Amino acid sequence: MANDSASDQLATLREMRSRAVLGGGQKRIEQQHARGKLTARERLALLLDVGSFQEFGALATHNVSEFGLDKQRTPGDGIVTGFGKISGRRVAVFAQDFTVLGGSFSQVQSNKICRIQDLALQSGIPLIGLNDSGGARIQEGVRSLAAYGEVFVRNVMASGVIPQISVIMGPCAGGAVYSPALTDFVIMSEGSFMFLTGPDVIKAVTGEDVTAQSLGGAEVHTAQSGVAHLAAPTEADAIETVKRLLAYLPQNNNEDPPQVVPYDAPDRMDEALNTLIPVAENEPYDIRDAIAMIFDRGSFMELHEAFAPNAVVGFARLDGFSIGVIANQPAYMAGALNIDASDKISRFIRTCDAYNIPLVTFVDCPGFLPGTSQEYGGVIRHGAKIIYAYCESSVPKISIVTRKAMGGAYVAMCSKQMRTDLAFAWPTAQIAVMGAEPAVRVLYREDVKNAEDPLARERELIAYYREQFFNPYRAADVGQIDEVIEPVETRPRLIRALEVLRTKVQENPPKKHGLIPT
Amino acid sequence: MSNLGWGLQMTVLGMGLVFGVLALLWGLLRLVLRLEKHGARRADAAASSPAPEAAAEPGEAMDPDLVAAIAAAVVAHRAVRRREAAPAMRTFWPGSLIHASRWLGSGRMRQTRGFQRRGR
Repeated sequence: MANDSASDQLATLREMRSRAVLGGGQKRIEQQHARGKLTARERLALLLDVGSFQEFGALATHNVSEFGLDKQRTPGDGIVTGFGKISGRRVAVFAQDFTVLGGSFSQVQSNKICRIQDLALQSGIPLIGLNDSGGARIQEGVRSLAAYGEVFVRNVMASGVIPQISVIMGPCAGGAVYSPALTDFVIMSEGSFMFLTGPDVIKAVTGEDVTAQSLGGAEVHTAQSGVAHLAAPTEADAIETVKRLLAYLPQNNNEDPPQVVPYDAPDRMDEALNTLIPVAENEPYDIRDAIAMIFDRGSFMELHEAFAPNAVVGFARLDGFSIGVIANQPAYMAGALNIDASDKISRFIRTCDAYNIPLVTFVDCPGFLPGTSQEYGGVIRHGAKIIYAYCESSVPKISIVTRKAMGGAYVAMCSKQMRTDLAFAWPTAQIAVMGAEPAVRVLYREDVKNAEDPLARERELIAYYREQFFNPYRAADVGQIDEVIEPVETRPRLIRALEVLRTKVQENPPKKHGLIPT
Repeated sequence: MSNLGWGLQMTVLGMGLVFGVLALLWGLLRLVLRLEKHGARRADAAASSPAPEAAAEPGEAMDPDLVAAIAAAVVAHRAVRRREAAPAMRTFWPGSLIHASRWLGSGRMRQTRGFQRRGR
């Protein structure tokens, strides 16, 4: 009799678990597949090491009875949460299940996410969220909205402590967008979208005709708004991107990112570096070529690639160690800094600083982009973010001036005063307050005006100015550059310098928090 | 005098016992050595007999294109594993401080001293 009872109990549990695994049912799963999308469990199976997933809250259901919801109770309530491993590393995960009531965000969903957020923070392990939700569960009213708030506060508490990665794999609209926006990295798969107000509301309010994709698709957020750091053509690629990104990050802010077994000779010197900078000083070159030659082969992972392409940021490896790379991109807008580039760079500096990742900065910047649109848009406060972020950061910082370093941009881009540990320059560096022509016009206006041949005099003075300032030696002379190096020796120089700086500790004054210009 | 006799008796008995045990061990070692040599001879004989046809070199039977494809796949797989910092490609177990000096450990603690967990 007792055995029968036990077997009944087991059968009940197994039946409930089977229902939880099926989510919204076989029909909904087929619909999800027909849309070219995977289910929450299929995504987690791709993300996590085989057999590593431990689920929590699989049998949780909502207790709302209004609007017929009492007839739509599904174990798990549209979200799968738990622990797992990625390449042997412990992670906390949640995946919204679109097959259950469109993945709509409920109080139960919130409770499950909050639980996993708390456990991730207490355990010091990364949190990865796979988002695919139609928005708040309207039937739950304000409870659903308050539920968002519970998640947001935990996002903020975990910010800079444990890596938080959001993958958008479907709709993410309204208040739901703020949780991914509060995390460290946002990856969007093709077909997904994020927006605060949808096309219908926009049509009603402003009369604009816009589709969900053109309003908040992956292309928009990776190229224009900068909300998303990375895009992937398929869901499988998005998941692969998470694994690759995680490889550069530590488990938490007290630990180091994993070092891969060095596979590229530390003393490798690529001769092509010595001829990378064009002879003509206004001729562009691609800084990515330099990055590819200096860092471990194939290790560069660029973030925000299409957003503010006049700056390049991303992770790479040097002798197997994770490094944050920041560079001006002379191939686009001559590498001038603007509002978007300032936001992109400052955000990346703070990310690397939070997770103990040393920074290497390549400088080739003629200055901040002039113009009313930039000034009206607040380029001053945006540019100040770069200065703030560099000064505040305490990780090892090395800068290399490859060509132009002019005026305020020279100061902002990791100059010695930004608490940079080592400042290198290539012989092609030009470090000056401003370009030769404007400088001569300011300094020698009367001299040129009174000359017999003003044009010849101006040319003569420009040549003099260039000879004086358009080289790295004046800066090295006054200690603003620690060493002028051959481009070819950059890799071994960086590896040796970082080997010393790896145990660097620098403290900031105690404070609640600084007031970064926003 | 009787003590001397008893002492000599004990000396002879003790040394005899020691030498007896040593002789026994020597005999055992000789036996083991002989058995081992016998086994090795049998193994040599088995190895020198003609191998069956099925035991041909695996590489010889494989198409060079297939070998090249497998080699390329292995290289690609290693690259993917490296990008993911898979366990075999890592120098340290996740969670470890790579340069776990007290200097760095205590320094990081000081850097984050203002931090308080506020999870509910």
